[in-house]
Amino acid sequence: MANGWLTDTLILLPLGGAIFIAIAPLPRLAAGLVALAVSLVEIAFWGGALSAFDYRAGAGSVQLQDTTTWFGDLGISYHVGFTGFAIWLVGLSAVGMTAAIAYAVWVGREHARAYFASMLLLTTGLVGVFAAQDYLVFYVFWEAMLIPLYVLVGVWGGPGRLRATLMFFIYTMAGSLLMLASIIVLGVSQGSFDMVTAGYSGSNWIFLGFIAAFVVKAPIFPFHGWLPDTYREAPAEVAGVLSGLVSKAAAYGFLYIAVLHFPDPARNFRTPIIVLAAIGLIYGSLLAFRAPYIRGVVAYSSLAQMGLITFGLFATNLAGFNGAVLQMVNHGLISLGMFMLAGLVELRAGTGRFDRLGGMAKGRPVLATVLMTLGIIALAVPGSSNFAGEFLILTGVFKSGWGWSVVGAIAIVLAAMYMLRLISAVLHQSRGSAVSDSARDLRLGELALLAPIVVILIFFSAWPAAITDHTFQQRSSTNGLSTLSDGHVVQRSCGTGCQIVELVRP
Amino acid sequence: MTEITTSWICLFAPLAGAALITLGGNQLSRRAAGVISTGSVFVAFAAAVVAFSTMLTRAPSDRSHVSTAWTWLSAGNIHFGLSVIVDPLSMFMMLVVSGVGGLIVAYSIGYMHGDDEERRYFAYMALFVFSMLMLVQGGNLILLLAGWGLVGLSSYLLIGFWHERPSAVAAAKKAFVMNAIGDATFALALFLLIAKTGTLDYGLAFSKAHGLSQTVTILIALGLLGGAVAKSAQLPLHTWLPDAMEGPTPVSALIHAATMVTAGVYLIARTAPIFQLASSVQDTAAALGAVTLVVAGLIALVQTDIKRVIAYSTMSQIGYMFLGVGLGAYASGMFHLMTHAFFKALLFLAAGVVIHALAGEQDIRRMGGLRALMPKTYVFFLVGALSLVGLPPFSGFFSKDPIIAAAIARGGAFGYVMFALAIAGTLLTGLYTFRLVFRVFHGQRDTFVDETFDTHHGEGPLVMLVPVGVLAVGATLAGWLQVPGGWAGVSNWLKPAVPPLIETTNTQEAVASIVSVALGLVGLGVAWWIYVARRLPAPAAVPAFEKKFWFDELYDAVFYKPAVASAKLLYALVEGPLVGGTIAGIAETVRGLGSGTRRLQTGLVRTYVLALAASLAVLFVVFIAVR
Repeated sequence: MANGWLTDTLILLPLGGAIFIAIAPLPRLAAGLVALAVSLVEIAFWGGALSAFDYRAGAGSVQLQDTTTWFGDLGISYHVGFTGFAIWLVGLSAVGMTAAIAYAVWVGREHARAYFASMLLLTTGLVGVFAAQDYLVFYVFWEAMLIPLYVLVGVWGGPGRLRATLMFFIYTMAGSLLMLASIIVLGVSQGSFDMVTAGYSGSNWIFLGFIAAFVVKAPIFPFHGWLPDTYREAPAEVAGVLSGLVSKAAAYGFLYIAVLHFPDPARNFRTPIIVLAAIGLIYGSLLAFRAPYIRGVVAYSSLAQMGLITFGLFATNLAGFNGAVLQMVNHGLISLGMFMLAGLVELRAGTGRFDRLGGMAKGRPVLATVLMTLGIIALAVPGSSNFAGEFLILTGVFKSGWGWSVVGAIAIVLAAMYMLRLISAVLHQSRGSAVSDSARDLRLGELALLAPIVVILIFFSAWPAAITDHTFQQRSSTNGLSTLSDGHVVQRSCGTGCQIVELVRP
Repeated sequence: MTEITTSWICLFAPLAGAALITLGGNQLSRRAAGVISTGSVFVAFAAAVVAFSTMLTRAPSDRSHVSTAWTWLSAGNIHFGLSVIVDPLSMFMMLVVSGVGGLIVAYSIGYMHGDDEERRYFAYMALFVFSMLMLVQGGNLILLLAGWGLVGLSSYLLIGFWHERPSAVAAAKKAFVMNAIGDATFALALFLLIAKTGTLDYGLAFSKAHGLSQTVTILIALGLLGGAVAKSAQLPLHTWLPDAMEGPTPVSALIHAATMVTAGVYLIARTAPIFQLASSVQDTAAALGAVTLVVAGLIALVQTDIKRVIAYSTMSQIGYMFLGVGLGAYASGMFHLMTHAFFKALLFLAAGVVIHALAGEQDIRRMGGLRALMPKTYVFFLVGALSLVGLPPFSGFFSKDPIIAAAIARGGAFGYVMFALAIAGTLLTGLYTFRLVFRVFHGQRDTFVDETFDTHHGEGPLVMLVPVGVLAVGATLAGWLQVPGGWAGVSNWLKPAVPPLIETTNTQEAVASIVSVALGLVGLGVAWWIYVARRLPAPAAVPAFEKKFWFDELYDAVFYKPAVASAKLLYALVEGPLVGGTIAGIAETVRGLGSGTRRLQTGLVRTYVLALAASLAVLFVVFIAVR
């Protein structure tokens, strides 16, 4: 197929970089710079993929495909390609990993070759998950994403890293194994592991196996037991990658596998999943309001945001889908930026605890401006890209039941409460005991790490339709049937506001 | 250029100013930041004036246009454009916002001189003006909500401008959160509107709204009213406004008197077709306004902080505007919005001159006798005060009385109760306003004044006095745009955009004017008797007024404390066991695995990573090569 090489390159380039860094005897800085260069080239290729993607093509819209049969008799093939929404998540991964790698270069991580090789391997895993069009390939990349994370948290984390790694490992492994079981049963029973050509499955059990992996990884309440420890102990940029990027692999799984490939089970389990998402949204917001340190607020707000994104996905209508994809990109950037900022504050103060911070705005205008801007976008001030995403999600979920939107609206107020608490506890009032006069403002290099994230968020605030116009679109609306840009045909009921009642195969 | 082009310029000029100051950083001198900020707002004003004069040349039926730059947000068949609406209503607001805004930002150059963070201040001010223009110019309801949120944000930033003061930070957060409650109900109304009509464009949504059931329109109107009440500090979401006086005084003048807090009035006028379909909600708006204007007037009687007195007076005056638009007298409500912008900004800025001269003191018990020291400021303040009380020929007289007349015209039990509350308000206004004037400018001079008043500094630089003077002229003359029985400049201008629901007769106007002027004078007279002639003792303190009717305590008990308590409870009962429990369980069952992880050594790690990467790579090479 045309331009399949772009997809292969996006997957293989970081992998090659990882091997090169692991083998070549590079000094610390060089290893970091090579990794950075690789990830920048990755962004360039992503730009190529985005421009090569034809959003006007309605049907068969898994594009930039490449297929190689592996085990023909088992129906396993190396099949990759992108859907219209996956490509945005690949862009998020490429940009986010570049920022995280740049951050690591800036702070100078120990054992640089192992570190940067792991980061690039993680990039391959992420991109692969979004590109996979075969269930086994999906699984391989899913694990290729998790294993470097165990290492990154376990080796470079804080004092409690071992326990955190163990928790993370147990939770995610349990989820992954259930997913593997589902994949095998599904593939064997259908005679093919291919996501595009295989039909839909109506099996609730297979569906739940996938859901197990996704609810843990997202995480969705109450499967977030690993979250507080891991986000606290991981190196700041790794925590940012975990909450910003890796969680999106789970959200993507919800959308692409659970909702679009299991329409009947998704409908059967829609209410319980939305209920859990709603609980997570309020629960995460309340705990974020009480968390005594920066990362705690960001961690629990991520739990809340994943609940919101799940809302949108299981609203199963265009507003919900588009809002969820937009929100994945927003939250990815915000969460990564907030964790990196938390790391930079911790570097200066030696702690992220609110009772020892405060007054950092005075004499540190750059830090104050960046934190304030990110925080304000994070609390979804109307007009921001985050607001646009939340608005669409809640518009979508309103059609499933107005009560869910009320829950979302309460969460909007809670988000204002916890985010303003974070901002003023770090920046305002009198100087905290851990903040010395010598704690510097953000330096130019640090600004260069964070500025692109802020600029992208402001860009999407001015034009969120850049994403929503280029994911799910409605093609035609005759007979209540319309085609989404990913090729799925949607049957709609237009009695009281149009609602997708069923996703059907073309 | 058409009025559409100039409207776009008007909208984005202040944003450009804010961006320029932010990006300029320390490269920019403080004075330059002030000049850029002021200049950008005056560019907006000039653009608004040009747009206005172009619009004047058009027939009244051809004065309403929507211009879309690009699709802002979309999903399926729902599209929200980044668009501006150019019609008499938005034009009216553009002129008020950019005109009064420009004067206040200019005044700030003098007021903020010497502050450490002048640049940040001026960037925020320009950002605010942009946000407010977005609110009034936004071409659909989602952009109105965007502007709505952004003015709340700028308000937060400016209330908390002196962020080392804990009281300022707390006030800023309180303002933001209370407004977020309003934003949330506003957003819910929009979700419902989208679900039922599929659009947020004003014209289309309003025409489709006619087909909706009564319940739906009532819910939508209630959601919008929730937003309006929070933003305009009406009961019961008003408690943030007095606290907001922690911000610099020009901020109080611009945001918390002249423009942002009146956004609720604009919202009700803009979405009038929806409120008209839900007349019970529209009556609720009027009733809330009427109750607020009395309650705020009562609290203003006992406040001792000069800015807080004016803040409560603002709540009270916005109550009149709510009453006006709630009764369907849209032009009267909007007219009062405009005159109020002049005389209230004037009062705040004149108060700012006093505060500036007294080294930041705001307690009126430490002032007195300032008339001799600050003659110009006294005159300015007096003009504002007379206008506020609504005495002819000052502007408040012309704009407030039609609202009171509308209550008579409404008639019935509801109309007469509204009328009674409104005229009670004029008595209170006379009383608290002249209590303030007499305590600050008349009587015995407090020793504190002698110690702190800087005779060399005097009444401040020209850059402060000139804007105050211009506002004083405005506060005196603006009322003559519309004279009962004479001409109706404002009503005629707004009629194509928001046709009134209620018409008043000349008799009703006359009755309203005579009663309200009489009661205003009674209030003034009583204040004279108590505070100047001292023939009456100052009344004993009323606990309910001093405690501001216990709203703060109530909300603390009903909202804040439960949120904190439930967070603690959830942590103790759910999160702790969930996280800690798994840890204990894991430690018991998989201790072996833990020791395995512990043996991870960094030299080995690279080998692991390499092995993993290599095996992945081999897989690829093999399978892609043998295709």
